Amino acid sequence: MSVIVIAVGTDSGVPIFSRKRGNCDNVQFSTIASLHGINMFSKCHNLTIMKTQVDNGSILWKEYCKSVTLIGIVTGGLECDLELLLLYVHNLMVFCIGKKELENLKNIDQIKRELRQCYPILDCLLEAVDPNCVSQTCMFLDLIQSMLCPQAQQLQQVLDSYSERVTGRWACLSIHGHIVATSTDFYELDSVEAKLLMLLAASQDGAPLRETPIYLPQMSPNVAFRAVTCKLLADVYVLVICGATPPLSEIDEIVLQCWENSALIIKEAKLVHPRNFPLSITFEPCILGILIVNIPKKRCVFSRHLAGNQKGKSMSSPHRIDVLRTFFVTTARDLAPELQIKEDDKECGRSQCVPSEAYWCSEYHKWHARRTADLMTCVLYAPTVPIHTVRLLTNQILQEISTSKEVYW
Amino acid sequence: MNNYKNRLPYESPCDSDNDWTESSEDSKCSDSESSVPEWDSDVAEDGELTYIKIKPGVEVSDDNHTALLDNCDTFKLRTDFKRSSTRRSTKGRIFKALKSKKARNKGINAAKKKDSEENNKIVVIQVSKSMIFTSDKNCQIEKLFGISLETHKDGKTLVVADFLPEAKPIYTPTVKLGYYLTKLNGIDVNTYNINNLLQRVIEDVENPRLMFQVVSEGLNIDIEKLLKSAPENSVTHILKESLCSILYICCNDVEFQNNDDKGVLYCYPRPLNNNFLYNTRGAYITLNHLAPKSLGTSEPLVSTLLHNSTLVNVAYKSHNGDLMLIAMPNSAIDVFCVKRIIQDIVRMLEFLYGSLKTCFTKQKNVDKLDGLFCRIFATLLFGNKRSGNFQEVIGAHAVSLPLEVKIQVDDAITELEAADYREWTDDVENFQRMYTVIGACLFYSGHLLCSHLQDNDLIEITSYLKLNGILQLSVQKDIEKLVLWREVYINEHRNQNKYCHEYRIPDGRWFLLIVGKGNFILATLMEAGGCTEDAIGVTPPSPFYVEECESCVELLFDVGLDRYLSAWFKSNTQPQLQLSPEKLTKQGRKKDISLKSDIIRSATLKLSKSQLDIKRRHNSSEHINTVDIQSAHSTSHHNLYSQWYSNKYRHSSVDVSYSEDSGSLKSTSEISDDRIMGRRADREQKSRRESSGSDSDWDKQDGSRSSNIDVSDIRKSLLSELDKVTVHRVTAGEENVLFHYINIESERGILLAPVSSVESGALYSYILNTFRTACKRIHELLQHGISFKKNHTPSVNKMLVGVKEHGLLFDVPHEVLNECGVKKYQEPYSFWVIGRVISEPEPRELYVCYHDSVPQDLTEIAYLLSYAG
Repeated sequence: MSVIVIAVGTDSGVPIFSRKRGNCDNVQFSTIASLHGINMFSKCHNLTIMKTQVDNGSILWKEYCKSVTLIGIVTGGLECDLELLLLYVHNLMVFCIGKKELENLKNIDQIKRELRQCYPILDCLLEAVDPNCVSQTCMFLDLIQSMLCPQAQQLQQVLDSYSERVTGRWACLSIHGHIVATSTDFYELDSVEAKLLMLLAASQDGAPLRETPIYLPQMSPNVAFRAVTCKLLADVYVLVICGATPPLSEIDEIVLQCWENSALIIKEAKLVHPRNFPLSITFEPCILGILIVNIPKKRCVFSRHLAGNQKGKSMSSPHRIDVLRTFFVTTARDLAPELQIKEDDKECGRSQCVPSEAYWCSEYHKWHARRTADLMTCVLYAPTVPIHTVRLLTNQILQEISTSKEVYW
Repeated sequence: MNNYKNRLPYESPCDSDNDWTESSEDSKCSDSESSVPEWDSDVAEDGELTYIKIKPGVEVSDDNHTALLDNCDTFKLRTDFKRSSTRRSTKGRIFKALKSKKARNKGINAAKKKDSEENNKIVVIQVSKSMIFTSDKNCQIEKLFGISLETHKDGKTLVVADFLPEAKPIYTPTVKLGYYLTKLNGIDVNTYNINNLLQRVIEDVENPRLMFQVVSEGLNIDIEKLLKSAPENSVTHILKESLCSILYICCNDVEFQNNDDKGVLYCYPRPLNNNFLYNTRGAYITLNHLAPKSLGTSEPLVSTLLHNSTLVNVAYKSHNGDLMLIAMPNSAIDVFCVKRIIQDIVRMLEFLYGSLKTCFTKQKNVDKLDGLFCRIFATLLFGNKRSGNFQEVIGAHAVSLPLEVKIQVDDAITELEAADYREWTDDVENFQRMYTVIGACLFYSGHLLCSHLQDNDLIEITSYLKLNGILQLSVQKDIEKLVLWREVYINEHRNQNKYCHEYRIPDGRWFLLIVGKGNFILATLMEAGGCTEDAIGVTPPSPFYVEECESCVELLFDVGLDRYLSAWFKSNTQPQLQLSPEKLTKQGRKKDISLKSDIIRSATLKLSKSQLDIKRRHNSSEHINTVDIQSAHSTSHHNLYSQWYSNKYRHSSVDVSYSEDSGSLKSTSEISDDRIMGRRADREQKSRRESSGSDSDWDKQDGSRSSNIDVSDIRKSLLSELDKVTVHRVTAGEENVLFHYINIESERGILLAPVSSVESGALYSYILNTFRTACKRIHELLQHGISFKKNHTPSVNKMLVGVKEHGLLFDVPHEVLNECGVKKYQEPYSFWVIGRVISEPEPRELYVCYHDSVPQDLTEIAYLLSYAG
């Protein structure tokens, strides 16, 4: 598997960056030039090469802001996500340096330098298309990993008061890279922005308190905000987006005041990981892994430690994430057309028939996905369970999740 | 060539020379005027032949006179014991005729073409006699009717070129420019008689009536025409407009320099600088170089382009550094299909020319390629709305037939392949055949009935038939006579250097002979060389073999297979589909009890023995007998036969009829009534066989016996058997919940699916369309595992390799349900589309579509389906 993402200035043809993952060589300058040349040449002939398929992969050109062309090449991975990947890479570039600067592309050397700071996040994004890599922070490109814990409601109140104190608007709490709770109006943010913020928090692992200037690609692509991440406990971060004030030293104090009393709740919430579901929700032993997607909020909950203390058997568990992720990306995502990239020129024929359930069978597993209203479940079963039982169980899970009072998205 | 003498030992001595032209001077051949095949003048210089004759517009019934006379022709030949000798001379005649008739040829074709267009729409306009239009050119037509005409390319038809301003309101919008003026006051009009007719109109008091033939250009592309002649500019133009294109570029440096068009060896449609693919070829060439060398991926397969707001798919095929590109609009052919279609095209070109390179570098081949690609694009785009379908691109669509019918078809083809020509010559030992039939396949109305070909050959021949629109022609039109002859390069021959086989195929030449009649298409692959005579130089089709194939098809007609099949295709029995999905409730029961009429009838199909017997062929006595009996039963058809026979062949027919025992005729009639009689007849046969001494004796007896059975009786029995056929159901549950299925054997290039003619209702077609789209998705996923098993390539995504079954559940949207009048029906209506790979005993893929109410086991369905035939 290999994935390469190249950014080139559309008019100048200057390479901005090229990142790769997997077993491929570094891309030569001449290759970049040729690739860019193909795109420019066809544009002269009133032609846009939308996508090129190769064996087990594809090559894609995408032009953003009329100034930057992203070229993506992927083989042997989750190639259907390439377009999504480029979209996220572009958003990441805006996130880092702002839309205006990206459009003007005046001081290209400086931009190259500035973009270097987003490489860790970029590499995270590349991990998401590698089927053999189980990324803790970025399993799915377009979904935000979450935990369902009963304490979420209490934590939200704390977050609300915290963001008010720092004159910020959006705040969230993450445990092990999973969103646990958010401030009330956090969902004003676009899912891409939220996703990038989560990746930012994850990439700044270790620092107790840190501020980063960021542009919100949808909300404010031209005016920078300040993202402040603060480590509360080990693997527990609180992130808030605020203006230039108050200064970091002041925020340090506010954090202490706000969160001192919530330490116990946070610790309780932490125990939910890695099961990620409240203990009141139980699963049948034949269920090997489960992925619940809240479609409008683009949040997902994944769990592979379902039967409580079964740690001895967790040998193949990273594999289970992997297997379930491939299922979701390849097939189950079709169940939710909302998750597809909206493009005018895309054939609308495909949306005509949206499946409501899908399953795969192999010798080792059975996968089943079902969607009802806003929720989608993908469940990994033992191969011995017959399909009609599988459907029944998935339905039960969906019922339980959607009615449980301990589930708080 | 010296073998000629041996092969045809009873040839007159003066004819023993191996030069055809000389032999044509032999007096013998002038006697046998009728033995000249009607297609002989159509044989091209390189020996290839395309001869098509379509029955005009209206379905021709059996007692039609023209059809009958044609039959007689063939019959005469078949019963002619000395046929071989006439044949020999026929060959000479072809050659001579070729030289003299060349020029005349085209006119005839054009006339024939016109006939087939008769089913086009007709518009009649009455013009008031009192109106006189002012014509600048003082032209009679303009004055009288206010239109100006021009002559069509065929030199005969009159085409509307313009309307005078005053006359425009009379004609528009019903008559458009380009329509043909066919009749004036009911009389056929053409360039020759127009002036006379106009004179009559002037003298006539009545208001003149003009009859126009609607010519809807573009959407009414005539495959028949395309098969015969070079593409017209209008068709080429339409193809260019719809962004269809093919380009073959040679990327070799040396040739690149030498070529005027910068390495472009072939391009269609032309002119070059108007072809978008040609103009942007740089992009594809670069990408094709770059991808494997610098990016570490494979060569590109398909690019999706946006050109003038149209999505176009460009497929790549590299061949020894050369590149072939094919572009087709996404609206008609999506990425999934274009990937397969280019494979098909490549296979077909290699089949026809040996390799891609020779195909595009062969001298004087451009016109042929133009025609070929024009046909390919026209067939794919306009010919059939289903050409972008899943099952259309996957393989040859086979139908499962009842065993008895299958045996008959197989038998007929086996006999063709057996090449037992004992009745043509007494001197079998010295008879060297011209060709070995190495296999044949039979299609009916686009569906494969039977194949005796190697898998690869079948795949290639199917591609050829499909892409050239021949299969489509056989679906849409009732073919009177179709003969195609091509030299081909079979797969084994092309690849024999690559692999070392245990046995080697002879160093010969191969020919494809396609014969069509009605809705049947019989493709025969023949080998020259090895044990048969070597083919040297230009090899035109041999009338003998054409007739052999024709009579093979003819035999199927005699048995009544055509009628049987058309009934079978409509019958929806094996296995039965649920065609009225709106009647199913959520519990999988029928809503309306009165509609339970199609419950399973459990009678078994037992064909009377008579059918099995009738299929004997090549036994000349049989033919005569058959005819003899036909004459006894008086339909006009048979009467004519008998007349014809009584004139010329009375002697032989009388002979044979005397030799029959009178009782057998009686038993025949009983066979159709009573099955026990059939069995008794069988026993009788058996005992006769035991008593008969030698094998050959038995053969003769059998032949004469079978001939006792009246053909029309068998037809009846075949058709009546149809409602006794077990309705085969493969799904579990009280009601049939199966909507559709496709069973693919990709190795063999065959798929089994319900006959495409069965389609009904809005809900059903919605389900079917969803099924087809879903199948593409499922197929792509299952390919990971299939290709892994085949090539054992270290696959990149291990999970996908293991997937052997993939199912999708769809809910029918409320709009569709409302449309079908299922308004009260508020509960969701859902159905499954499931695909499964079955790797044992041979790899195949099964796709089924069924109602959600009853859970099904795919393995069981697969099992039941494989016993459907």
